[in-house]
Amino acid sequence: MAVPPNTDLFVLVREPIDMAALVRHVRTAEDGAVVTFDGCVRNQSHGRSTLYLDYEAYESMALAKIHEIGAQVHEKFSIDRVAIAHRLGRLEIGETSVFIAVSSPHRPAAFDACRFAIDTLKRTVPIWKKEYFADGAVWADGELPPAPADTPAAKPAS
Amino acid sequence: MRVPLAATLPEGYNSLVPTACPTIRVKVLFFGRLKEIVGRSEESVDLAEGAPIEELFARYGARHPELARFRASLVASRNQEFAAWSTPLHSGDEVAFLPPVSGG
Repeated sequence: MAVPPNTDLFVLVREPIDMAALVRHVRTAEDGAVVTFDGCVRNQSHGRSTLYLDYEAYESMALAKIHEIGAQVHEKFSIDRVAIAHRLGRLEIGETSVFIAVSSPHRPAAFDACRFAIDTLKRTVPIWKKEYFADGAVWADGELPPAPADTPAAKPAS
Repeated sequence: MRVPLAATLPEGYNSLVPTACPTIRVKVLFFGRLKEIVGRSEESVDLAEGAPIEELFARYGARHPELARFRASLVASRNQEFAAWSTPLHSGDEVAFLPPVSGG
């Protein structure tokens, strides 16, 4: 995957995620730490043997939400760069579905930012996975994103 | 045959909507299990100007009772932002009903 220099990187991909390229992308001479999260496909779910997973996304919104996470980690933590890649389509056992790399001058910020990024992604980014088993398939249990509360007189949108 | 009256009606008038409100057209998207229930991933729908997202969902719920049963475990979005069910809709809006997310 081609990576632009000197920026964060947020992508949805349909091919295997190039983890080494993402690490190289975030790592600069100012950094003393790079923390990564590699989310990979497990061979079982609730005791049933998984054959493979199929991921789908509301792509435009998912990418927008991932960009928001990027902006939030810069606000909250003293980090240098962040890269987030999520893969879509069919994934086999052991393949990486999501990869996050965060660089920072000192390690605590990179650890904290990486943890925040994956936790927020799993709660707010519209991506869904269907789990395929030998005897059927189910949409994985997920988290309901926080949404604005109803108001009787909702502010008209612009 | 087109009756002359139609020429005096506001643009976007839709005879299926029994009000004088101008109608709008919105795009509705379905994902995951909702796409399987509805049988398609997107659709254009005509509504009265300012109709809330809730009203749009109710139409689909009437057509697909299984969808209506998921109401409590869905969130709505308007133009790629999470939105309250009471959010009024305008022409060209893109609406989606989102099941619990399970990325990562």
